[in-house]
Amino acid sequence: MEQLNQAIIDLLSGNEIFTANTLDIYWEGLVNTVHLVFVSLLIGILLAVPLAILRGSRFAIIKWPIWCYTYVFRATPLLIQLYLAYYGFAFVPGVRDTWIWFFVEEPIYPALFAFTLNTAAYTTEIFHGAIKSTPRGEVEAARAYGMSRALTIRRIVLPSAFRRALPAYGNEVIFMLHASAIASVVTIMDLTGAAYYVYARFYAPFTAFIFVALLYMVLSFGIQAIFRGLERWLLAHLRPAG
Amino acid sequence: MQGHKPLVAAMLEQTMPEPIHPLVITDLHKSFGDNPVLRGLSLTARKGDVITLIGASGSGKSTFLRCMNLLERPNAGEIVVHGESIRFKDTRRGREVADHRQVERIRSKLSMVFQNFNLWAHMTLLANVIEAPIHVLKVPKAEARARGMALLERVGLAERANYYPAQLSGGQQQRGAIARALAMEPEVMLFDEPTSALDPELVGDVLRVMRELADEGRTMIVVTHEMAFARDVSSQVVYLHQGRVEEAGPPGQVLDNPTSPRLRQFLAPKH
Repeated sequence: MEQLNQAIIDLLSGNEIFTANTLDIYWEGLVNTVHLVFVSLLIGILLAVPLAILRGSRFAIIKWPIWCYTYVFRATPLLIQLYLAYYGFAFVPGVRDTWIWFFVEEPIYPALFAFTLNTAAYTTEIFHGAIKSTPRGEVEAARAYGMSRALTIRRIVLPSAFRRALPAYGNEVIFMLHASAIASVVTIMDLTGAAYYVYARFYAPFTAFIFVALLYMVLSFGIQAIFRGLERWLLAHLRPAG
Repeated sequence: MQGHKPLVAAMLEQTMPEPIHPLVITDLHKSFGDNPVLRGLSLTARKGDVITLIGASGSGKSTFLRCMNLLERPNAGEIVVHGESIRFKDTRRGREVADHRQVERIRSKLSMVFQNFNLWAHMTLLANVIEAPIHVLKVPKAEARARGMALLERVGLAERANYYPAQLSGGQQQRGAIARALAMEPEVMLFDEPTSALDPELVGDVLRVMRELADEGRTMIVVTHEMAFARDVSSQVVYLHQGRVEEAGPPGQVLDNPTSPRLRQFLAPKH
């Protein structure tokens, strides 16, 4: 342990860039990135589950608005959505006089708003596809055994669909992590923002950006490991007995 | 007081109910679009009856079975399960179920065994067996598990309780599906071609379990192509042709001395 400590101190000494100060900035960036991604994924998935169910409704008045929403958010760049949320809101007449302004003023909230709606749109489509591909016979069996529509969704359709959606949703999570890098353009000090700051201060592009790339990689590997674990646990029914 | 006796007896006679049959179907009609599939089918399953429905493909036998638990919605006719008639209402889109809760309650009394098993793939075999008893019949979990294990034991799958359906052979899945059906303690068991999707060497195990069920007096309605099973096990054989009952009766009569030329042709050994 002491050897490791000494090694780090040795590594940092005679090194002008990775001082306690810049590491602190990276740390702040890491916290902001994780916060931004985690909160938008959490709210996004909570929105996506009911939307995915309603997206399969047989009533056009329910089905089509949701389709339009997911289509628009998947067909436009996240950066544009972020600009609209960040710059656009301020120009809504009268918004400065309402409580909403309190949120819009802070860049983190428009960013959360845009990221959440974006990931909810993708996740809705992922879940909708998984729900639609639930084996018909399994739904029929549930109905034949006296389950109500709601119980069938809760006990059969969703558990089965979530499992099928898991690999695709894991990709969406990693995609969101990487997409969150654009939060830095609206002055949020996320990981990319921190790297840009260090680069600008020391004119050391390789050091600043390769270091942050490594941090993103570590986060990605972590997410992958979590999803691999989830798949091992939840997709046990697809493996041969052993 | 003595004089009143005949009166009381008469009243008793009047109020004495008909025995309540597990399933009575009267004049059932069903069409898909303009294509009539069932044209006035009636059937009474008394307690302990094993009724086999036979007929060529397209004769409507599976549709008839699926109408019994409302997986298909009949256009006309009455379905009475243990004395309770399923209520319908007329809407702009045709005849619909009046009370979904009633249908769900009635379905829970008519467990179905499907051609393709339709076990829930994300659940272990035991979880499949106890799912509906716990969530539909509200049986306490511990009780459902104990009963479920006993049923898996019965169908010879106790040591497979924690396997998932995909890890089992077709015959094992179908026996598991029968355990799932038994767990509901149903009034009537509906079998929709239960051996048609199985490899020939697996059919025997499933039929053996079904024979045992028949022997213990379960009321069963079986759509099947297994003529030996129909002959040995059923109390009544119903031959359907183009959505009508062409011939019905005890197996000895229907299968050995068919009167209808169509049935004779149907039963003729294929080359």
